[in-house]
Amino acid sequence: MNMTERCLSRRGLLKIVGVTSSGMAIGRWLGPHVTMAQEPAPGKGMESFTGPGANSHWNSVGPYVTEPQKVPLILLTDRPVQLETPRHYFRTAFTPNEAFYVRWHLEAIPNAVDLKTWKLQIEGNVSKALALSLPELMQKFKPVSLAAVNQCSGNSRSRLQPRVPGGQWGNGAMGNAMWTGVRLRELLDMAGVKKGSVLVQFQGLETGPGPEGLGSNLFLKSLDLGNPVLDECVVAYLMNGEPLPMLNGFPVRLVVPGYFATYWTKCLTWIRILDATDENFWMKTGYRVPDTPRGNTTPEEVKAGKVKTVPIERLPVRSFLISPDGSSKIPAGMNVTLRGIAFSGFGRVNRVEVSDDGGINWMTAKLGEDHGAYSFRTWEASWTAKSPGRYSLAVRATDEKNNTQPDEPVWNPGGYLWNRIERQEIVVGDAS
Amino acid sequence: MKNKVQAFFLVMGGLVIAAGVVYGQLKKGYYSPAELGSLRQPAPVELLSDSSYQAAAYPVPAVDLTPGDGRQEVQIYCNTCHSPRYITMQPPLPAATWEAEVNKMNKTFGAGIPEDSTRKIILYLEAHYTVENRKQ
Repeated sequence: MNMTERCLSRRGLLKIVGVTSSGMAIGRWLGPHVTMAQEPAPGKGMESFTGPGANSHWNSVGPYVTEPQKVPLILLTDRPVQLETPRHYFRTAFTPNEAFYVRWHLEAIPNAVDLKTWKLQIEGNVSKALALSLPELMQKFKPVSLAAVNQCSGNSRSRLQPRVPGGQWGNGAMGNAMWTGVRLRELLDMAGVKKGSVLVQFQGLETGPGPEGLGSNLFLKSLDLGNPVLDECVVAYLMNGEPLPMLNGFPVRLVVPGYFATYWTKCLTWIRILDATDENFWMKTGYRVPDTPRGNTTPEEVKAGKVKTVPIERLPVRSFLISPDGSSKIPAGMNVTLRGIAFSGFGRVNRVEVSDDGGINWMTAKLGEDHGAYSFRTWEASWTAKSPGRYSLAVRATDEKNNTQPDEPVWNPGGYLWNRIERQEIVVGDAS
Repeated sequence: MKNKVQAFFLVMGGLVIAAGVVYGQLKKGYYSPAELGSLRQPAPVELLSDSSYQAAAYPVPAVDLTPGDGRQEVQIYCNTCHSPRYITMQPPLPAATWEAEVNKMNKTFGAGIPEDSTRKIILYLEAHYTVENRKQ
């Protein structure tokens, strides 16, 4: 029997039209450029949860949802609202407002703000309490603009092993915007901080049904009056040149450059000068990290009660590969561009390196435009995989204080401060 | 006669192979029925030029809580401060962690859930949302 006759058998015919998966064999006989593999199934949904292992996806796995003033984003929770930004929105240095992630703590978040009655109050231990309308904020003070990354303390929490309870974010609880508004320092000076004051506390419009005095009733954050970051804080009424979406804190939100988003109070309405320490839940109990290098500890040490904690502060250096994202094959020999972002709360990112062997050999990427020390910095690198296979692309950033991303995981009970080197598997296909 | 039959099969075979080659190289027009889901585009919002800046109501999609004893208590008490999606979003957690979470709601956040309901909620979470038993 010759070769032609062999494929005339009934089975052979079935194979040729691709009905059986063993059609691969015939395909191979027909030549290397013909494949009879089964087509990918259309639109199969993501799993509904991850764990007990680490979430292996770049983003979290929730469904898309369309919230007011937003494009479809990944739903973590609906009441209060927590939404994650899908990976592809990080191709640019500035994250679009309508795609910017959302994280609220208490369920009564504003649906409306009446600017006729809304005033920013500066009160407490001051010489002259102030109540400023939005037009007053816009006209009485010289506007300042600053690019700064807003990242949730729990960004990437779903990477931790063992897993910890809390918002199971992938990497998309972050965003960068050009924030425009009034310097916090000017407001404090205008009100006159009295001698003996210790803290400045921030309160927005969100409230919860819990009893007064508890964390389930009000979300309050504070910073030491001696903290130099106060000189860099901005009370922002513009985000990327537009009013803030309600879910991101309309009409004004506090911008604390280099610090985690927990301090960036949304719908900021009360700035309060305190002459004593802040004993409220969100400072005393919540958003605290072990007072250890990288905030790292173990479940055993926590159980033994050995872990001393401090309030979370600055963003450790991080970098991400945004595209390619692993969803498509790349033909061998093709010269493609790797693109991503990097940032650090400790200073300008001045080096990004990429590796195509999982982090053994590194090459330097080209950095994009510098929008300031607290901004996303885009990077790109050209890459050619000569032969087919699976490649583990890794990316790591270094900031001007010489902080480099480590390759060791972090663990703490809050699921904070994750900044391990990221990896992305890329499949390179045969091109001939 | 035998030669003619052979030639016929040869020609037909050649055509089938050619079709296979073309299909393999230039596969197209492959569609499949699918669910549209519920992610419709939002309609534009009617805006007035007054001083009130409004966002539409925030949507709360239904949550699939595993059926079982205690689910009703979860829906009543947990739902006071947050939607039960806070539960389904979590990874499978150890039973002790669920117990600590529910106790935190009472002790730290003042949820005030009656003791028997607290017990029922803990047992429900431990029965459906741990590594050993979580299904959805």
